Amino acid sequence: MYFEIDPQVAEDKGLSLLRQETHRFAEEVMRPAAAALDKMPDPAEVIAEDSPYWDVLRQMKKLGYQKIFIDPEYGGLGISGTEAHIILEELGWGSVGLATAIGVDQVPPGVASIFGMGDVIEKVVQPFVEDTEAKYHSCWGMTEPECGSDYVFLCEESFRPHIRELHPGQVKAVKDGDGWIINGPKSSWISSAPAATHVGLHVTLPPHDCLSNGAFCIVPLDQEGVTKGKPIDKLGLRDSPQGDLVFDNVRIPDDYMIIRPPFYEYRVGQIICVTSCFMGAVFTGLARAAFEEALKYSKDRVQGGKPLCEHQSVKQKLYKMFEMIESSRYYTRKVMEHVWSKIYIEKTFDASSRHALSAQILGTNTAFEVAHEALQLHGGYGLTKDFLVEKLFRDARASLIMDGANDILSLAAAYNIVEEYQA
Amino acid sequence: MAIFPSKEWIEEVLKVAERSEEYKEASKDWEGDFLCIIGCDEEFLGDLSRKEVMEGFMSFLDMMPEDGRKKYRGTPMGDFLEKRLGVSLDASLKGLDLNEVLAKISNLSAEDLSGAALYFWADFWHGGIRNMMGVAPGEHEDAAFKLSGKYGSWKLLVSGQQDTMRLVMSNRLQLEGDMQYMMKRMKAVVALAKEVLAGVPID
Repeated sequence: MYFEIDPQVAEDKGLSLLRQETHRFAEEVMRPAAAALDKMPDPAEVIAEDSPYWDVLRQMKKLGYQKIFIDPEYGGLGISGTEAHIILEELGWGSVGLATAIGVDQVPPGVASIFGMGDVIEKVVQPFVEDTEAKYHSCWGMTEPECGSDYVFLCEESFRPHIRELHPGQVKAVKDGDGWIINGPKSSWISSAPAATHVGLHVTLPPHDCLSNGAFCIVPLDQEGVTKGKPIDKLGLRDSPQGDLVFDNVRIPDDYMIIRPPFYEYRVGQIICVTSCFMGAVFTGLARAAFEEALKYSKDRVQGGKPLCEHQSVKQKLYKMFEMIESSRYYTRKVMEHVWSKIYIEKTFDASSRHALSAQILGTNTAFEVAHEALQLHGGYGLTKDFLVEKLFRDARASLIMDGANDILSLAAAYNIVEEYQA
Repeated sequence: MAIFPSKEWIEEVLKVAERSEEYKEASKDWEGDFLCIIGCDEEFLGDLSRKEVMEGFMSFLDMMPEDGRKKYRGTPMGDFLEKRLGVSLDASLKGLDLNEVLAKISNLSAEDLSGAALYFWADFWHGGIRNMMGVAPGEHEDAAFKLSGKYGSWKLLVSGQQDTMRLVMSNRLQLEGDMQYMMKRMKAVVALAKEVLAGVPID
């Protein structure tokens, strides 16, 4: 178990217990399931009825992990940002793929619990909150074939003058009587889409001229006109089924349109703040997992007549990994606490997106660099399927692209910094 | 317990805002008035059948100068008052026989209120409320923000049962004005709902 630098966390018995219990779940339930899912040659097996994916999801829901991001007023756990970070780091340590599954699961009910009213509370939020059998499972539909990470720019007010230079969006909703009709494609990178019953969907509204003239809605995926693509075959995150969604005249009721103009362009960035913090926390967990694999291996593996860890160059590498992980934990936790406070406690929705984006970038870069070094310390064995570090490295590589490519996240944050930072 | 909308409710809101340090701090840089439009519907009609609500409603109308009240004439609310309830917009409402007015309510339906609305104006300025009053149609149209919605949605807001953003996001209340300004000052909006409006329980 890692060293805890924050005395308020270290000395809090409740937080220690939370960390231990989540870690036990990550170790005993998530790790073996993730290993099995990762080895499945056909990605369709991952979401088959008897797949361990569903076993893990059921157990997560029994433990209440599907309620982390739900407003306490509607059954959320009512935990602090610190507690959320502790849970997510441990889940990420177990498997970032499965942590992603329970993360995206909460986007539609979570957003609806904060901003929604009426039928959507009764028909979406409550069933998700009460579900312990994984009867319901959600995904988050943002990225599109022709505008991959573009939505990230909606985070930044400073980018607003340039927003019309981006693609205007492919998934479109139009008002039709007391509901909405949706058409268009979301791309193959929608985590959990092939397994999901609902999607939290970003759409554009008439005149469909700009991403910021959009809305966030919830679409039940058993609706006529929805096509779910097959899970894609990919390098990393094989335990997170991803696929496309296509909407052909799909109808939703008005209450399912949760965030609409003129609020969409202000609120979508706050959703991204939460998901970016999620990424920062779970990938700090992956970085720690890779470091621990490297540390254990370096104590067992003998080279030049002594364990690897007795070599000074290895010691230095281990130290560097430790420093990176501690920095990542400290920073991503602080940002999570800030975002949590602005969204779930004060409800002022003015979380700093530049910090949230940088938490994701730091967490994922740390995960990749630490996993890379950890694999290097394993030598040739690190390339084999016999060692966990091989999977961790592949998963860490995916993190530099998923949930907004880091190049784009940093560019979006840079617009804000250049505009706002007074040197 | 105050009736919404009524003279008593407005006076209580002003008092609570005046003594709330939390509200003063959260809204210290707020500059912007609101024109609030309450769409009167079936729920309003139902509530009006209670004598205390009718009394509150009349006190709200009576806060307006006579000239202002007359501007309701020719509007659906004016027709409702004069033609359905027999309330003259020309005379003071103080001596009104409420029992007589209440007797007429039971024969009315939502159709008799179709399109009817009440207006009040609130001037929020640097941690305080400089003014809050019932106004006539067409007055304060240049307010920085315009918030409108059905009576039932307004009750959810002023009772503190639902937060402003949730009501606006779900289109139950419609907000017009400089959104960027408001989004940057959500602390003031949250504090108004939590510290001020929720501090005046409504009946």
